[in-house]
Amino acid sequence: MAVVDRRAFISSVTAIPWAASAAFAAASSPRRLLQLNGYPINAETPLDALTSYLTPNELFFIRHHWNPTIPDPARWSLTVDGDVAKPLQLTLADLKRLPRTTVTCVLQCAGNGRALHRPRVPGLQWRHGAVGNARWTGVPVKALLDQAGLKASASHLHTFGSDQPPGKVPPFHRSLELDKALQDAIVAFEMNDEPLPALHGVPARLVVPGWAGDHWMKWLVRLSARPQPQKGFYMDVAYRWPDSPGEPGVVLPPEQMHPLTALSVKSNITEAPSRARVGVPVTIRGFAFSGAPDVAKVEVSDGGGTWAEARLEPEHDPYAWRLWSYGWKPRAAGRATLHARATDSGGSVQPKEAVWNQSGYLYNAWPSVEIEVTA
Amino acid sequence: MRRLLLAVSAALLFLGAWPAADKPAKPADMAPPELGTVLAPLPPGPGKALAQKDCLRCHSSDILRQQRLTEKQWTAVIDKMVRWGAEVPEAQKAALIAYLVRHFGPENDRFVPVVTRPASRR
Repeated sequence: MAVVDRRAFISSVTAIPWAASAAFAAASSPRRLLQLNGYPINAETPLDALTSYLTPNELFFIRHHWNPTIPDPARWSLTVDGDVAKPLQLTLADLKRLPRTTVTCVLQCAGNGRALHRPRVPGLQWRHGAVGNARWTGVPVKALLDQAGLKASASHLHTFGSDQPPGKVPPFHRSLELDKALQDAIVAFEMNDEPLPALHGVPARLVVPGWAGDHWMKWLVRLSARPQPQKGFYMDVAYRWPDSPGEPGVVLPPEQMHPLTALSVKSNITEAPSRARVGVPVTIRGFAFSGAPDVAKVEVSDGGGTWAEARLEPEHDPYAWRLWSYGWKPRAAGRATLHARATDSGGSVQPKEAVWNQSGYLYNAWPSVEIEVTA
Repeated sequence: MRRLLLAVSAALLFLGAWPAADKPAKPADMAPPELGTVLAPLPPGPGKALAQKDCLRCHSSDILRQQRLTEKQWTAVIDKMVRWGAEVPEAQKAALIAYLVRHFGPENDRFVPVVTRPASRR
């Protein structure tokens, strides 16, 4: 039953035509990725494959700005320099000899859901699946900076990957506040207990729990502690969030925006039947996460008026997603529209409408599903 | 048994007997292509050659085909790409933008993501 229902469901929840196509519906098979770009490869996970606490590596979404220069792990090294007493250069073997830690948390592309913003914005038209939850194993950034002798003058961590852009495209050089890096960022070399796959940043990437994917530098080769933030297009123009969001469609200058950091509270619906009968309960499932870092509750509404709490699955970690389920008993025949919304540990509630912004970041409006109810 | 089925399938494929011309395989029977192996062509029309020459050097056509942008938005995108090294002669810029707006303007609803197999152990 499930396959047919899920296919119908995928069609029913989406308002935009290409998602309702046969090709999209065929994606309900669990081992599929939806390719948004052939080169550089960009692909999202079908929503109905995001039903497990850990997203399998091979189904995890893939995001590239350009064709990457993938390092050879045998020749790779990580430099730690800047405002430190003793710069480090570590091979992968060196890194793996250091005390390691494991965190389970969500990685979401800042632009996940961009295709759902109105008015439309340029860029990769991600819908729901540029997100996943994984176990990341590596060395805390704090341990590396402690070993290097971090100086008090540093307040930002500049991050560099090995990939080189084509033409005059600015390099993807980034930085994040040192406080966050010291708090819980790690240099990860394993993803779900396997060596980091090539497309996910072999041999090591930055993991910044609770923050959007633009901070999670892949093919990491250098960390540099500095007094000032990194300069450049990917800091000063891209990946910025309005200081004061304006009307949808209003494009703001970069100086009226700031770097985007924590993930917004968000739930999505991954499983629901397309049809139901009056009085016969059906189960709706999904996931929810936040940079808060925890999900306090998920609620479901028939029509958006009154809300009832869903059951949260017991498995959870800070900044990881929480799977949820809700038993819904249809009361009347007709077409029902169910919505979900999450509330996080900071009290933020997932909004009915997402905040429009010119780059289409952090879409988090209520997800909806339509169910045809018969007597 | 599964190995036997695989061997038979491989043999049939080798002989070119499957899928038979008069019995096309159902879509569900066909394995989707591997991630990164399908590259769709740009739609025909005036300006296609410009788009191919100017845009596809760095990225496949998909990123164009999924946009639904106004002329103003496309102009901003092209200006950015020129700053980033795209070689668009000034005299051809208007024709390129016209092509992009004609095919990938706000009413564009033709884009379908390619359903792919995950890349093999990459």
